[in-house]
Amino acid sequence: MRLLYVAILSSLILFTLSPTQEPSYGMNSVLLKVGMQDEPKTLNPFKASDVWTWNVIGYFYESLYAYKPLTFEVIPWVADGYPEFSDDYKEAIVHIKRGIKWEDGTELTAHDVVFTAKIMMEFKIPRYWSSWEFVESVEALDNYTVKFKLKECRVTFMEGTLMSIIVQKKKWEKIVDEAKRSEDPFNYLTEYKNEKPISAGPFVFGEWKRGSYIFIKRNPNYYFSGYKFNYTFQTLEEMREFLSSRPGLEQYADFEEKKITLTIGPFVDGILYKIYRTTDAAILALDKGDIDYIWWPIQPGYVKLLKENENVSMISTPENGIRYLAFNLRKDPFRIKEFRQAMAYLIDKHFIRDRILQGLGEYLCTVVPPGNKAWYNPNVKCYGDEGQGMSRAERVRKAVELLKKAGFSWEVEPRIEGDRIIPGKGLIMPNGEKVPEFDILTPPADYDPLRFETSRRIQEWWREVGVPVTAQPTSFATITQRVFKEWNFDVYVLGWRLSLLPDYLRDFFHSSQIIKDGYNPMGYYNPELDKLADEFVACGPREEKVKIAYRLQEIIAEDLPYIPLYSQSNIEAFRTDRFKGWFSQGLGSISASISYLKPVNTTTSEVSEQGGEKGIGYESYIWALISILAISLLIAVGWRRNRR
Amino acid sequence: MSLATYIIKRTIQIAITLFVVITILFFLFRVMPGDPTAFLLDPKMSPEAKEIIRKQFGLDKPLYVQYVLYVRNVLKGDFGTSFYYGVPVFERIKELLPNTLLLWVPAILLSYFIGINVGRRIAWKRGSKEEYIMIVLGLFFLGMPIFWFGMIMIWLFYHELGIFPAGGMMTPELWLDPSTPLWKKAADIVYHLLLPIITLSIGGFAGSMLLMRNSMLDTLREDYITTARAKGLKESVIRDKHAARNAMLPIVTAMSISLAFSAGGGVLTETIFSWPGLGREIVQAVLNYDYPLAQAAFFYISVIVLFANLVADVLYAYLDPRIKY
Repeated sequence: MRLLYVAILSSLILFTLSPTQEPSYGMNSVLLKVGMQDEPKTLNPFKASDVWTWNVIGYFYESLYAYKPLTFEVIPWVADGYPEFSDDYKEAIVHIKRGIKWEDGTELTAHDVVFTAKIMMEFKIPRYWSSWEFVESVEALDNYTVKFKLKECRVTFMEGTLMSIIVQKKKWEKIVDEAKRSEDPFNYLTEYKNEKPISAGPFVFGEWKRGSYIFIKRNPNYYFSGYKFNYTFQTLEEMREFLSSRPGLEQYADFEEKKITLTIGPFVDGILYKIYRTTDAAILALDKGDIDYIWWPIQPGYVKLLKENENVSMISTPENGIRYLAFNLRKDPFRIKEFRQAMAYLIDKHFIRDRILQGLGEYLCTVVPPGNKAWYNPNVKCYGDEGQGMSRAERVRKAVELLKKAGFSWEVEPRIEGDRIIPGKGLIMPNGEKVPEFDILTPPADYDPLRFETSRRIQEWWREVGVPVTAQPTSFATITQRVFKEWNFDVYVLGWRLSLLPDYLRDFFHSSQIIKDGYNPMGYYNPELDKLADEFVACGPREEKVKIAYRLQEIIAEDLPYIPLYSQSNIEAFRTDRFKGWFSQGLGSISASISYLKPVNTTTSEVSEQGGEKGIGYESYIWALISILAISLLIAVGWRRNRR
Repeated sequence: MSLATYIIKRTIQIAITLFVVITILFFLFRVMPGDPTAFLLDPKMSPEAKEIIRKQFGLDKPLYVQYVLYVRNVLKGDFGTSFYYGVPVFERIKELLPNTLLLWVPAILLSYFIGINVGRRIAWKRGSKEEYIMIVLGLFFLGMPIFWFGMIMIWLFYHELGIFPAGGMMTPELWLDPSTPLWKKAADIVYHLLLPIITLSIGGFAGSMLLMRNSMLDTLREDYITTARAKGLKESVIRDKHAARNAMLPIVTAMSISLAFSAGGGVLTETIFSWPGLGREIVQAVLNYDYPLAQAAFFYISVIVLFANLVADVLYAYLDPRIKY
């Protein structure tokens, strides 16, 4: 029995050891250690859809165009200059920089671009398909020139199609051929494991031990290493203002020259991703110095503990996302615009920001978050939340006025006596029927306490004017099922993560999306918006697009199919004793600064000494062995006693 | 009935049970609200692209067709492809099952070993301070939530004392170093294993200890114990040979049943200690609507529990010579 147990245990250990790939790195390297909550699920970029995967493989692939850090302008990246469009915008010629190399030394050429484009189009890769469905053909005119032919030109051509990843033709050619010959080509391609990705990016694949860690190493031949992004300012005030919304960036500022410079590295030998399944464990590891950065937002509750550690810093940045409330416009009374506007007046967004979010976020008046400066319209109607915001009494008065104007009446009308509100009862619609009881579908408190608490508040506020509403905590899956698939809802509260280009202004509100599983389950239809939204997504000069985006936001704020509620700020925590240069772009994660980080100590030996996990010295092994010996001894003694 | 016939009969029963299990599993996951492809969809995706994904998962077919295909594949030992990982489910389980066994088997054995031995001792020393302390401790550990205890263990042994790692299965820095010898890597795994094993065993030993104590107290009142004393046998022989062996019968039953329940503790322990095992994967699979993976994982756990029951029944014959099959 005892022998059997020992045999099972040791064979299991050997079993776990056996499928390891050759280890590839020594300990004397400057590694950035990053905590992640989950590991990538694949290394195949055509399959990958989750953040954990892209956090890793995103470093392997370059694109023709990219967003400039901090300002999010579109800049040529692999491409050499901006595309040359034909007059009707149906053809575009893109030139490619010479000398960009894949990690195996071969050059990245127009043929790689064309090859990748064909995969996107022929296999209809879901993640990219909306950026490629309007492309008719792509061909290489020579090694460094690509010609795109478009069925129609859409605004996502620049910020979608030309920002798609580029994969190496040499590596993928065989796989794609095999896929095409197989029974189910799409499955074959997406299920390909891609155990050895070929990179043209700042890092190349190192090693992946499933369930434990993944390691990527610096690409010594990275074309863009040393590339500088410069930002110059006319005045110091202008510069200070720019810096004020981007914490950490002042490390890159030269106040005398009125200039900010970001130099692309990477200045680390590699990134080691360690997996921590709970935030608690990751926080302890960060506090102890086993990791340099936790690559997911942490809850405000941890801030106090981490503040005590002088080597840990935190930055909070607004996310590019919204939480919103939406109505089913097929039903009464939600189809009446004044009703929706009255309900918007009753929602105190200042309260939500200050009390529910505890200041960690922004309230929203439009669906484009304020951090997305290029597209955000600061002058839309905000229903009582402009400036300091209205008082409760003012809000109720305004709502009652609007409802009355639309023909609503009450069995008992709400009254305001000084600051006191005496709620109304039995709200009657213009058609003479009573407003039926209805629900706000809201994610439950254990899924998202903030949205739950917001919905509960909204319930109380709406009841003040006699609206018979209940905030109904409902599982996320059930909400999406009832809203997007069945249209079986009255009001719901959900959120979106957004792209920088606000083409979602069309996706969410265009009448073509009133289909099952579409993005307009509200059934919202406004011909003016439809027309403008179609114009917005067609190609054209950017200034014109901005104007249209502004107008779209005004229409949405007036019609209120959505009431935008808030966007949260994410707190991210990192250590400052091993690497310097963490900064926020004013929107999104601080992980964008990884390419610019510099080690605090440039001598590698010192860093590696700190790098060794504490407690993994020799003593630890002696500890481990002694413990095992002690346990075995115990078992042996116990067993012998039993025998006697 | 010979032992062999008995085992054959039980195996047939197990096969029928398993068939019921896979059927229930299939429908249980399908009635869950929500869409398994939801996690893959984003606003950028056209309905056509979504349909491609559904078709890839076989979700475009009617339910009964899905069921027939599923049963046929399971009989062939094929649980399909994980929605989430895009690899055959078996491959994923093959990776995770050894890790889970590595943690669970020693932990369960250890918890029963401690439980039985301590239980035996405190029953023998009834009324002593030792018994009193152990019962209080036992009740404490029995009622304590294991995720809380796990966090405390990490905080104490990792964060404060620095003796053990925070979790995971290996030290990446050590494994990345090509000069690390194999024995050191093995030691590294054991080193990562200790804290979760201790947590899981402490979380589990109390039940068996209290059960063993009660069972032992009953046995000690039996006439044959008095007889053994009258024969002048040594106290330790009476305790271990005569009393404990008989007192162990209910423990064996409890052990086989509690295997299913220790799965719960195992899942939590794997999550807290970031141990890459099957238990944590089940939770993830259910949350991700990864039907194939969740079904297969539950299926394998059912197999383990049913098999453990069979083993317990056979063990009975060894422990109690009166039982014949």
